[in-house]
Amino acid sequence: MSVFFLYPLYLFGLMAASLPVLIHLLNRRKLKRIRFPAVRFVLLSQKRISRSYRLRHWLLLALRTLAVILLALLLANPIFQTGAGLFAGGGPVSLVVLLDNSLSMTWSGDGDGFKQAKEAARLLIGSLNDGDRAALIPTNISGRETFRLKGEKEVLLKELDGIEIADGTANLPAALGKAYELLNEPAGQKEIRLITDMGLTGWDQFSISSLKQYDPSIPFKTIRITRKQQPLNGTVREVRLGGQGLGVDLPFNLEAVVANFGDQEIKDLLVQLSIDGQAKEQKLASVPPRGETSVSFQARLTRPGAHTGQVSLKKEALAGTPVTYFTLDAQDKLKVLVVDGDPQTSLVQSETFFLTHALNPAGEESSSLYLPTVILPDGLNAASLDAYHVVVLCNVSALADAAVTKIQNFLRQGGGLLIFSGDRLQMENYNLKLVQSSPPILPAQLLDKKLGPEAGGEKITKLDLSHPALLGFSDALLQESIKSARVWGYSRAPAPGKAVLISLANGDPLLLEQKVGNGRVLFMTTSADRDWNDLPVKTAYLPLVQGLTNYLAGGKRGVMDSGIPVGSTKEFSLPPSSVGKSFKITKPNKQEAEVSVVPQKDRAAASFQENALAGIYRVSLPAGVDKESGVPQLYAVNPPFLESRLDTISETELQAKLRPIRVEVISADALQQGGKRTDLALPLLVLLIVTLLSESWVAQRI
Amino acid sequence: MVNGDKNYFDPRVLAGISNLYLRARWVVEGLMSGVHRSRSKGFSVEFEEHREYSPGDEIRRIDWKALGKFDRYFIKEYEDETNLRAYLLLDASASMNYASDGITKFDYGCTLTASLAYLILKQQDAAGLVTFSNRIESFIPPKAKRDYLIQILHALETRGPAGETNVGRILEDIAGQLKRRGLVILVSDLLDDPAQILKGLRLFRFKGNDVIVFHLLDPAELDLPFDGNILFEDLEEVNLKVIADPRTIRKTYQEVVGEFITEMRKQCHNDAIDYQLISTSTPLDQALASYLSWRG
Repeated sequence: MSVFFLYPLYLFGLMAASLPVLIHLLNRRKLKRIRFPAVRFVLLSQKRISRSYRLRHWLLLALRTLAVILLALLLANPIFQTGAGLFAGGGPVSLVVLLDNSLSMTWSGDGDGFKQAKEAARLLIGSLNDGDRAALIPTNISGRETFRLKGEKEVLLKELDGIEIADGTANLPAALGKAYELLNEPAGQKEIRLITDMGLTGWDQFSISSLKQYDPSIPFKTIRITRKQQPLNGTVREVRLGGQGLGVDLPFNLEAVVANFGDQEIKDLLVQLSIDGQAKEQKLASVPPRGETSVSFQARLTRPGAHTGQVSLKKEALAGTPVTYFTLDAQDKLKVLVVDGDPQTSLVQSETFFLTHALNPAGEESSSLYLPTVILPDGLNAASLDAYHVVVLCNVSALADAAVTKIQNFLRQGGGLLIFSGDRLQMENYNLKLVQSSPPILPAQLLDKKLGPEAGGEKITKLDLSHPALLGFSDALLQESIKSARVWGYSRAPAPGKAVLISLANGDPLLLEQKVGNGRVLFMTTSADRDWNDLPVKTAYLPLVQGLTNYLAGGKRGVMDSGIPVGSTKEFSLPPSSVGKSFKITKPNKQEAEVSVVPQKDRAAASFQENALAGIYRVSLPAGVDKESGVPQLYAVNPPFLESRLDTISETELQAKLRPIRVEVISADALQQGGKRTDLALPLLVLLIVTLLSESWVAQRI
Repeated sequence: MVNGDKNYFDPRVLAGISNLYLRARWVVEGLMSGVHRSRSKGFSVEFEEHREYSPGDEIRRIDWKALGKFDRYFIKEYEDETNLRAYLLLDASASMNYASDGITKFDYGCTLTASLAYLILKQQDAAGLVTFSNRIESFIPPKAKRDYLIQILHALETRGPAGETNVGRILEDIAGQLKRRGLVILVSDLLDDPAQILKGLRLFRFKGNDVIVFHLLDPAELDLPFDGNILFEDLEEVNLKVIADPRTIRKTYQEVVGEFITEMRKQCHNDAIDYQLISTSTPLDQALASYLSWRG
């Protein structure tokens, strides 16, 4: 039950209520003195009328003051309201109903908060009278939508039915901005109703300055959907991948961090991991109040490429997003052909011993992403390079023409070639076959071999950390490790600066790069074993070998992508050849949307904004773009983590956030109980007329 | 009386004539020009006093009875012949010094008294004057001498209104001093205790006097025509003050004054006293006409 004013500025007129008193006092100050003979008659007259006279004067003063007050109130047009009903009179109403359809509404109001909110909106729409107009605006909008005020209740109710819970956070600046934009046009009476659970998320980032326009004089009421009891409230905050990438048949660890937003412990929470729609593993966990718990899973992907994954929480009456989506891109095993130019009877003495162990430390096929195959140089002629991603030549003395041709074809098709130098390497042969060939396979002429004592070896001082092959060496530990190595034997091959990825302290290159067709070539001027350096016994050796192999294989190691938040834009980077083309995206609800590819610098780009639903989005790549282009085939969209939080903003905080807009918070129950709004203008007018008539009557009798 | 003669009696016109004699003559001549002279010229000889004979006195005026009693010669002195002895009593208290517009009640009363004296003496009647406030200020016994008017006018002019009124007691005092019957004309605003006033007037009647009361009031005293909040200060009683809004009490005031006048008129009527309410805005001829109608 409340009273508010349509034109509150007129309330300043109440100050005029003091005018009759002031006039009375001023008149008293202007006292005129008259010497008069018949004062006794004056006195007698006054005594005779004194009591009734004073009474009537006070009554007259009161009536005049009341008349001024009534006039001010009448101009301010007070509205008396019981419950939360609409205007019962006083002209047509322009009403904007803001319906909170953010995810938190799913769990508000004891589980049927959104239903309650819709019922409240239905009541408001039902209360509209002829001539009234209303608009329904969900809070989860992008801001690009258009709304308009309508007078047809049926249309509004149909719109209401069509509004569903969105998976994202309320976009309050956009929704409020739309409301004030609609109410900017002239109307008899205007009103905004926000039906919400007052979830903290959404308001915590809100600032009144984010509204382009607002009108504090428009009554703003918040209809609050409340819950009777505090439910268990938790969700998965994060899913992260442990280990060294994702490969086919390679076990990997996933860690799900479960957060508890509530004040009571969540016990016996079933946390389940599903890959490609199949439950893989489930665990029971307990989450402390206002705390977090990590749950680890181990899984294995049996085929390369994109996979969907989700971590689900299963607990009765648990409020919060129960499912978190992610995608996995499993890398097929990288097949590496290792040519050992200096085979020994002892494996340890072999040129490729350290290299193969760096690629597959356990020596088992199932334990590593890399599948190295070691052959002798003679076998190169017979080997089919198409079956391999990378070919590694270790201290191979000379290359036959047939092998060179085979390697050139391999490189043109995108293969990777890693060459290690060594004491057996014949520089003349390499210069002739690989440097002077067309296209050249090595970036620089080999000049000579530099050999020194082990103790006088050169240190590695310069690494191009921006190069994709060496990204892992941003880690300080690895950097320290590689720089601690000594190189006492290497082939000198002065090359242009951009081709050099690693240099020795004396400036001679240690690692050179050359691109051939779609393929890449890396030339290590030192040996793969310990003959010319002590790198193989350094910590940095394994990541260096794996990093170089990955790079040569196309840079893919298999990744986990936890996706983007609901409502955000998914950006795609595509090969330049796809400019002007379009591709389809299938949303979680199976609806398809088309996305156009536009040029962007030396690449092509596309963006998709319709990520309003949580789930897995499937990308149908444009024609001519293969799976190896780096464009994801799947991506996940998840509700904002904090949207599961059921903490609410208090009425005081809400009023402070929206100041100078005056906000009143009423419960949805009050709305359910009906209520009525009465325009007090007519009763006030009648009262004013009666007051003026009474004043006139009393004044005549004084 | 013709309309053009009204100027003679307009109090505002009279107020412009500073000389009281001229003012009285102006009024009476103006009045008499419109009426016939009184045919009543009654003649009587009334003994006034004895004095000792002195050589040269007429032998026929010796009172032989007194000679028998006192063995001395006394001459009988007689008053002038007259058929009326009029006592003009003029209230000269401070309350009479009020004028809302033009002439004060005292000036009006003086003019009226002077006019009456002029008229009375002109008709060879005897006229005397008493002015009073809360005491007798001047007392001039009635005489029918034509030049006696000068004394009366002089008495009126020498003293202005001052002091409080005590009409009732003064009337009693004056009544005690009157030795012969006659006509008592009281000119006053009667702003005193009505019972005391009536008691004094009745005393005159008791002694066989005829009494005419000219009740003089200013128009403002009758209507209270003021506006705004006013501090009323009494002209006689210094401590009598009252703040009032005339608009709010006017009606009641008029009722109170009306009740006072009605009561005075009624009581006077009961005691065969001729009561005449005179507003100072009223032309003087009405007052004089009232006297003339009594005089027949």
